[in-house]
Amino acid sequence: MEFEIPVDDVGLVPFGKGTERGLDERTLGTRGIQLELLAGLGLPVPAGLTVPVPSVPGLVGGLRAQAALDLVELLAGSAIGSVNDRGGLLLLRVSASAPVEAAGLPPELTGLGLDVSALPEGFGPQIDADLYHVWWQTAAIIAEHALDVPGDLVSGLTLDHTDARSRIEPLLELCATRGSKPWPTDPAEQLSLAAVALARRWASPRAARARRSQSLPEDLPLAFHLEAVLATAHNSSGYGSAMSRELESGMFTPTGTFCRGIRGADDIGRTQRPLDELPGGTALLTGVLAELEARLKQVVSVTFEFNADHVALIGVQQLRRAPARATTSLAVDLAMRGVMSEADAVRAVRPAHVLDLMYPRPRLTGNEVVLVTGLPASPGAAVGRIALSSDDAVDLADDGQAVVLMAAETSPSDLSGMVAAAAIVTSTGGSASHAAVVARGMGRPAVCGAGSLRFDLAVGTVTSGDVTLTAGDTVSVDGDNGRVYVGAIDLEVPDPSLALTTVLLWADDARRLGVRANADTAADAATAIALGAHGIGLCRTEHQFLGDRLPLIRRVILAHDADSEAKALAGLADAQRMDFRDLLRAVGDRPVTVRLLDAPMHEFLPATAAEAEDEHQAKLVEHMHESNPMLGVRGVRLALLHEGLYPAQVEALFTAWADVAQEGIRPQLEVMVPLVSMPDELVMTLRTMRRVNQEVATRTGTLVPFKIGTMVETPRAALMADKLAQYAEFLSFGTNDLTQMTYGFSRDDVERRLLASYIERGLLKVSPFTELDEHGVGALMQIAVDKARAVRPDIKLGICGEHGGDPESIVFVERLQLDYVSCSPHRVPIARLAAAHAKLGDARVPA
Amino acid sequence: MDHGAATAAQELSSEGRDKLTELVVRGMARGDLDPALAPAVDAGLVLVKGPIVMPTPAGTALVGSWLRLADDAPERDRITRTFHAFLPVNRRLRELCTAWQVRPDGSVNDHADAGYDADVRDRLDDIHDSVTPLLGRFAEDLPRTAAYRARLEAGLAKLDDGDNAWFASPLIDSYHTVWMHLHQDLILGLGLTRAEDEALEERLVAGSSE
Repeated sequence: MEFEIPVDDVGLVPFGKGTERGLDERTLGTRGIQLELLAGLGLPVPAGLTVPVPSVPGLVGGLRAQAALDLVELLAGSAIGSVNDRGGLLLLRVSASAPVEAAGLPPELTGLGLDVSALPEGFGPQIDADLYHVWWQTAAIIAEHALDVPGDLVSGLTLDHTDARSRIEPLLELCATRGSKPWPTDPAEQLSLAAVALARRWASPRAARARRSQSLPEDLPLAFHLEAVLATAHNSSGYGSAMSRELESGMFTPTGTFCRGIRGADDIGRTQRPLDELPGGTALLTGVLAELEARLKQVVSVTFEFNADHVALIGVQQLRRAPARATTSLAVDLAMRGVMSEADAVRAVRPAHVLDLMYPRPRLTGNEVVLVTGLPASPGAAVGRIALSSDDAVDLADDGQAVVLMAAETSPSDLSGMVAAAAIVTSTGGSASHAAVVARGMGRPAVCGAGSLRFDLAVGTVTSGDVTLTAGDTVSVDGDNGRVYVGAIDLEVPDPSLALTTVLLWADDARRLGVRANADTAADAATAIALGAHGIGLCRTEHQFLGDRLPLIRRVILAHDADSEAKALAGLADAQRMDFRDLLRAVGDRPVTVRLLDAPMHEFLPATAAEAEDEHQAKLVEHMHESNPMLGVRGVRLALLHEGLYPAQVEALFTAWADVAQEGIRPQLEVMVPLVSMPDELVMTLRTMRRVNQEVATRTGTLVPFKIGTMVETPRAALMADKLAQYAEFLSFGTNDLTQMTYGFSRDDVERRLLASYIERGLLKVSPFTELDEHGVGALMQIAVDKARAVRPDIKLGICGEHGGDPESIVFVERLQLDYVSCSPHRVPIARLAAAHAKLGDARVPA
Repeated sequence: MDHGAATAAQELSSEGRDKLTELVVRGMARGDLDPALAPAVDAGLVLVKGPIVMPTPAGTALVGSWLRLADDAPERDRITRTFHAFLPVNRRLRELCTAWQVRPDGSVNDHADAGYDADVRDRLDDIHDSVTPLLGRFAEDLPRTAAYRARLEAGLAKLDDGDNAWFASPLIDSYHTVWMHLHQDLILGLGLTRAEDEALEERLVAGSSE
């Protein structure tokens, strides 16, 4: 990054007067621009000015200090250090900002101009203490960084004198004896020393490290901001910050806290009060925040100071990464108000936000017994058995149990138990307690400060209110809302909020790509459709042969002859027909792509000869052992070896279709053949299907309308797509297998042993199983798309690998102009949004 | 501590005593048992559970009796005074670790926002600047604590080398981990319980303003 700094001397710029002079953040700094924005909206800002970047050397050199001070006093209407006509004491604050947002800026110095030897009467002891405190903070920094007093002597004063007032004399003494000159009484001279101190702090190794870690230029300049601070009585003065939205719900409402007293360099130990206790109320803030949200189109936060009769906005920050709920609600609110377009609202919500909003949460039925509520100290949820000591936690975990460690508090000696636990609950300590810090460090959910818990370690019980549990009982911990429930609670994906639903509907209007879901069962299909899938893009039929049905399919594969195969298949027919019927009912009149059986044969065979039903089977199992099952007898290959298999499947499927057609449901059926690498494999299967369809029509009176298509999973299928398209009415890219076969990666093996190392060494940026490889796999897809469309221009093209739910991959799929993506049901909302982003462009704005 | 443990403890080598002390300060160790601790296992001072080595309550009590300063020790007052200055900084450190782990909106810090991390890291310098003079005083009065400064700074150096875990990960000698060890060491030295320590911190933090 490079900054071209205007070299013209632009003098001193009162807050709000920079824009009219054509100045921007390069000269005014980010805070100068914030004040321009606030003043430009007619909002109250402090009396003060920006010393723009080109004028800073003059201030640091001491030349401009008097002029700057004079101008601040003119703007404030009184002299710095004096009590003005409203009875307030005027002090000077200096702060700095850079032309871009930067962390590690020098601290604000607030107490300039204060005659610490004679505080004005009547402000009360609390304000007096504040004044001493801000003076000490300012003077200590100036003494160390501008007057060259050794830092350890300055910090030594904090050890030897616990209150700020008693450090004043020794510090003045140190300046006189060990500093380059005594502490000046002239405010202008203090100001120029303050400027020196801030400039030197910005040149320190510490600040240099901060710039480096943010990739900011080493010579990033600063603008300085001088403002009048008015000290009045403790109860009528204070400062705080207010965000435009409540983050939990996303709702627009000023949210924040304030403190009484004078705003200094830090506010450790001050009482944070809720905004609704603000003297004068929050009406002004509400208006300000609404105005700023509309202007900046972001969740915003303002910092403010107030006195008896006056509020000044001293800064405005945009939440660079507003959380999901707030972002979504903001986008919908602004679009509804006409401040932004619906397309921009769709753009504003990122896939990561949807992921956040769809994160599995405990499924509450309303019948849960809440054991206790504490602070949500570390996010996530877990279920486990109670252990009341670290030793017990380690023991239980050793037995393979999930453990919830519950204790009054934790200390380093509990580390073993915390490592063993799935979640941690403590009765004392806040969200910065040992338990909370360690739990977050290990990614364990935690609830801390659950104050009503009582432990009886002698008998091994924990009690809250009327409920007493014993060590070993099961509890569920929700680290997101701080609740601990009695017993086990299931996790589930929450329903989309109203705001998210709205954004997704707008996304549907904006996108070209269809979004379908991969769903194997009626329940999955129902979930997917509820989440906005317009059909099922992949129904795998493998699960129909697992569980109780596994012995039957084994008999098919291991059958001695056609007869025993047919018998075994007949045993499967009814169950399959029922499965299909349920699925088709759930799908309704939408499109549904059913993939005929595709599983590596070994998944259906006994793992060892010892598990076989008889000696004959055992021999066959040995005989059929495959070295590379993923490249072995699977998909259409298995079906061509066992010729009864696919006819039985399609018969069950067509019959089920005829069944639901009786109920008035007419799913748009698509039958898909897996693992084709030769067009003739498709042709043979197609013939079988037509024959079976005729047979079913004869039997039921219904000729089932269906489309036939094939997966494109082998490189050869991609390269022969024109030949396939002569028969196939649709092609679906199975990008998991296509990626495996294009790279020659056996997924399970490389994911376990290779990918992490490749990514670490920069050979891969991301796993090609997560994000579609555009260059290799994508090139094959492009060839297939071109060839297939040349033969059959209206051929339907989709993708049903896991990539179908990956936003980056969806951008590529949009470029390929496929017709739809199909992804797992819970990725459907993300795919709807990502497909809209892909169409709208600008999809790569960082979240 | 029972008589048998005390007798057995006498049989520990000086290395064994050091290792036991370190184990109690650290709370646990992972990996193989240090051979110097084998007699401590036999004496019921140390427990091995799978890959985890931890002190028994008897072992913790024994080390506590070794480290605890006598009530009339001349340095006790000074250490207590420095400790009172340490506890509010301790609170700030824990709050900063929280900021490092959790963003203000409650979401887990994924360290993708360089500006946010740089701000938290910058504030760690304020804390380190605050604790450095305290470490100097502790080292004068309680020489066994002299090594903590170098260990804290080693954590900082590794953090600045780009591995975020060195801020607060509990499983390595991160800045926070070493700090916790220091804190535990001081608590043992002063003979405080954890509850006394927390109540004291609460009082000192509340008393620092308003």
